[in-house]
Amino acid sequence: MSKKSDPSRLDMNYSSENDSLSSGRSDRSLRVAEKARKKNEAEDPFLLALKYFSQVEEGTPWKGNDVLEWHVAVVERVALSQGLSPEAISVLLDFALSSRMSSQQCVRILKILVPATVVPQDAIIQGVSWLCVGKMAMKTQVLFIRWVLTIFDLIDSKDQLRAIYGFIFSFVTEESLCPYICHLLYLLTRKESIRPYRVRKLLDLQVKMGKQPFLMHLLALYKVFSPELVALSFPSKMKGGFKNHNSTWKVALSAVQKRNNAGVLTDLRLNLSMRTQPNSKKRKFSHLTIPAVSSVPLRVSSSKALPLEQLRDFPHLLENLHRIELPAQMGSMLGSPLALHYIDCVRDNSAFLRLNFWLGHSLHEEFLFCREASSQNMAEATRFLNTLISTQRLLQEGFSSTEVFLYRFLRVWDGSLLRTQILGLLSDIAVVPSSRIKVVLFEPLMQLFFTSSLFFKCSVVECLNSMLLKWLTWHSVYALEDELDISVTSQTPQNMTLSGLMDSVVELVQFVGRIATVGLQLEGYHTLLLSFTLDFYETVCGMYLKYDLPLVLMPPAGVFYPALLATNPVSVDRLCQIMHRYRASLVSAKLQERQSQKPFHISRKTYREFNQYVVSMVNCLWNSRAFMPGMGIELAEDLLARSKVTECCSTFNLIHHPAFIGYAVDFHQKCWPERKELDLNSIKMGKCWDWYTEFLFSEGLWGLKEFVQSSLSHRTSSRVSGTDAR
Amino acid sequence: MDDSAKQVLRRIIRRIPSNKLQITLRKWECLSKKQFRSLDFTQPKWLICENLLSLCEENDLSLKHVTELEMIFHIEHPTQGTWYVSQLIDAEEEALTSDLLNFRESFKVHLKSLISHVSVKIKKHEDDAIWIRIAWGDNFTKPNHFKPTYVVHHLQTPYVFVTGLAAKHRPLLHQALIPSAHYGSIKDVHLSGRCLTALRDLLMRRYKQVFPEKHPRLLEERSPLPSHPNIENEHAKHAENRLQMAAEAFGDGMLPKLQTAVYKLETSNLLESLKYCVSSGMASAPVTPLLSSIPRKGRNYFVITDKGPGINPTPGPNI
Amino acid sequence: MSLLKPFNKLPELNTANILLVENETQFQKKLADTIVQLENDVNVIVRLARSLPLPVEIAEKRQRIDLVVFIVHLSSEQSLLSTEVSLKQLESGYFMGKMCFLVTGARCGTVPSERLTSLKKMAASLNSPLLMTEDGTTEGVNTAAQRVLNMLKISAGLVPMATGLYLSSLIRYTVPADPDWQDQD
Repeated sequence: MSKKSDPSRLDMNYSSENDSLSSGRSDRSLRVAEKARKKNEAEDPFLLALKYFSQVEEGTPWKGNDVLEWHVAVVERVALSQGLSPEAISVLLDFALSSRMSSQQCVRILKILVPATVVPQDAIIQGVSWLCVGKMAMKTQVLFIRWVLTIFDLIDSKDQLRAIYGFIFSFVTEESLCPYICHLLYLLTRKESIRPYRVRKLLDLQVKMGKQPFLMHLLALYKVFSPELVALSFPSKMKGGFKNHNSTWKVALSAVQKRNNAGVLTDLRLNLSMRTQPNSKKRKFSHLTIPAVSSVPLRVSSSKALPLEQLRDFPHLLENLHRIELPAQMGSMLGSPLALHYIDCVRDNSAFLRLNFWLGHSLHEEFLFCREASSQNMAEATRFLNTLISTQRLLQEGFSSTEVFLYRFLRVWDGSLLRTQILGLLSDIAVVPSSRIKVVLFEPLMQLFFTSSLFFKCSVVECLNSMLLKWLTWHSVYALEDELDISVTSQTPQNMTLSGLMDSVVELVQFVGRIATVGLQLEGYHTLLLSFTLDFYETVCGMYLKYDLPLVLMPPAGVFYPALLATNPVSVDRLCQIMHRYRASLVSAKLQERQSQKPFHISRKTYREFNQYVVSMVNCLWNSRAFMPGMGIELAEDLLARSKVTECCSTFNLIHHPAFIGYAVDFHQKCWPERKELDLNSIKMGKCWDWYTEFLFSEGLWGLKEFVQSSLSHRTSSRVSGTDAR
Repeated sequence: MDDSAKQVLRRIIRRIPSNKLQITLRKWECLSKKQFRSLDFTQPKWLICENLLSLCEENDLSLKHVTELEMIFHIEHPTQGTWYVSQLIDAEEEALTSDLLNFRESFKVHLKSLISHVSVKIKKHEDDAIWIRIAWGDNFTKPNHFKPTYVVHHLQTPYVFVTGLAAKHRPLLHQALIPSAHYGSIKDVHLSGRCLTALRDLLMRRYKQVFPEKHPRLLEERSPLPSHPNIENEHAKHAENRLQMAAEAFGDGMLPKLQTAVYKLETSNLLESLKYCVSSGMASAPVTPLLSSIPRKGRNYFVITDKGPGINPTPGPNI
Repeated sequence: MSLLKPFNKLPELNTANILLVENETQFQKKLADTIVQLENDVNVIVRLARSLPLPVEIAEKRQRIDLVVFIVHLSSEQSLLSTEVSLKQLESGYFMGKMCFLVTGARCGTVPSERLTSLKKMAASLNSPLLMTEDGTTEGVNTAAQRVLNMLKISAGLVPMATGLYLSSLIRYTVPADPDWQDQD
């Protein structure tokens, strides 16, 4: 009982303190105290209490039993402050379940059974055997099973529990026990526990009780292990799950653990990959409170399996790959990179199913099921979602339960709650089929986008940009392996063909084009939003050359012209660069088409659009022919005249364009420092123009340079136009 | 100190919360300062109780002292049970001039003439309230100190507050009270609650009330002004009216604390009557959901609480 | 007892009027305070009402209202019923980009899902936007105020080249056609 030294020491201090305090007391009361102490035989009150509970006779009265009260009080204090040692748990559990006193006492003891470290498996086995005796009240039975579920991860080993799987299974027929028994079975089930008669029993129950979520989940797990035995089909998104809310235990456990952990974790951090932070997070977030799994000294000798939490490092993982035992609480895997590596390389369907299930449950419970948005809750939620994001990035794929959650959450989102995390998760989702993308993604996003602030608009465009990037990257990786038939994720065998992917990408790009056009208009062509939009088109223009997706999509006029006529040189420069890359893509596509290496068709319309844009740019910036017929933006002559701007055609050339006029003035001063009067038109003359463009390039306008070098074949010529594919 | 006194003391100590124990024992004044200091209030209660018992034996205290302790606790914490209120009626002339001494004597004499085994203890509280503790026995048994009745009466007022009274003792209490307080008879006023002071304040109108003849202008000052000139409340006038009405009905200060009220609507066909009330214009339309939910939800038991939806969804079938 | 009309009065220069209708009044007040604090360029006048119709006494004085916001608390049946009644007091012109619903408690799993469903149906049939809010936190109120203000400026004609009708055609609530997503809760 060395483990118990901690709790007991405190009590001894306590009683000795009493002695010193009582020195001033009258003789009589001293005697009383003496008597009480003699009764204690100078022993630790906690040990005495345990002794009492292990020896108390059946049928001892409990009403007005001060001795019992005293012992319960002692146990309660120790349990709630330090937690109970494994031995104490065994003794108390046995006392409670044997119903030696009233069932009220049993409930009372069960409620304070807060383990400090582990729960011995034998105690649980003993408990189950009391369950089989059938003396317990139904309420107590339920409470016991719920307690087992709560502390499941603290049970030191589960081999014997699995051995009595059949005994536990027999309780599914008890109606009020059934949900909890199903949950317990879910946690214990291995392939070998699945038998045809058990499947039949569950199916019978399902007929009797209806499609209860707990039965469905257990059956779904059975199906994963033995698809040949379970012929049922399950909806891809199952509702609910196992419910085991018990805040009393949860709070007590996490309080005890928080207190005990501080010391334990610092010892263990060195040799275990589990980090402290995810530990505290998952404890709070799972519906079952999980303690630091890593701190449990497990007895592995009896079983061959190696619990995942015992893995030390990557080589250790490789050596033991064949005999890894997954933790019962799948959520704990999120925090452990080693565990994730394991999941990633083993591709264990049941593991993924369980992880997915746990995740969906937690997300739904914590974010959709009435959570007041208090700052503390939000801090936890933020941590949790951040862990989820980093997990998904490590695995390089999203969980389907995250997707289901996101689609639901978007519809009730106010656009600010956990914005960074939600948009982060959103950017990670797998390719959405084009048939669904509008409903699940675009409609809720549009509503948020157009009503929210500029900052939010920028974040959405950024999020969609990184979503597109991931889709493209994913395509370029998988396209190498398999040309056309690519499954999105290994868990959902949802086959997506190349054309399916292309449809989704087209939808996404067009959507961003639409919202960016209107968004820019609503925000007065704000530079920041324009910049995020150009980021997006930097991705789009490289789709073919960089990511090997045979697709070229031009930006809409609502994005192109605001960028061309922007007041800052960066936007115009980036537009030039984007146009240069489009040109490269189109030239290469044309070449390939001509060589018939990879037959694919880029519509005439795309070429036409591109040429139109190039003509507009060149006319505007070089030829001083803005607003003339043939440009994208045409204005009637009389309208231009009414604006009373002289030479309005040249207001957007490289000299007078609001983005470049600063450079022009600068250049003018450098060229003719002695001149008093500013005559910008003199830059147009002869060699000056060449020097001016060189000057612009030297100021860092690389996009402009690239555009000029590729699209303008004769640099000095004043009559140039788009050269390609006319 | 006999065994029954010891038992009563144990029971009292058990009922007093640990944090109140020290202060209550100090008020009791039955222990010497040294004895009081020797008690360690950080100990578990049963141990304190043992020590206290030995001190009591030392001082040779009796049951009388023990019940005194109970009274002290009850007077300080009058929210221990449900109080029922009765009203004395047909006051005689002497009712207005009765004093504590006379009342005490007269009440004891009257009660003891009605029943032989009864223990009465009367104590005057600071606020002029007379506290009476009665432990009832009957002709063959000793007074039962485990289930005492508490009666609170303010002299010169007709109200009597009672808790812990068994039905069979009610006529006895009434018969003793009426002549002692110089009244003609007594009736139930149908008011009950856990908070004694609230019941008292309610009946004696000891809370701030507003009288309609006061200037209604005053209310405007009190109605919350919009915090910004650009915010206008369209229903400000209505809100003002409502505030006025609320103040007229309930006053504008703190109200006595009453936890429950029971309305019994009894008629041959309640729903028909309600319907008639609405259709004839006797009740304002639209009908409050409290009434319309009866046919809609198919139930007639509702609990209205502070938090959550107005109608508690526990009992009754869901329709 | 007359209908509230969007175009029976001329707008005032650089001014926008918003009407917040809420059966209870706590959220309304918080939102109003935040709205007037947020906006500095435009003279925003917030009107608070518990229900429609508005009192006739000050009908003359009242400026034209550019946006009507119905605040619906899903936690209360009364809130939804009261909104339904008030809606009838709006002239049809308001349904062309000059009204929206602001919903609280949609994220909460404990509110009866039928309420949200019937509200969604109502919004879809009126082609009006449905904005979800978190009324419990300051940040939530700020966000709601910002979003409502954005809509108000457009519907009051203060944003060049945008109208309420245009915006509302982009953000109005539509019942998802995919049955998988129709009834999620």
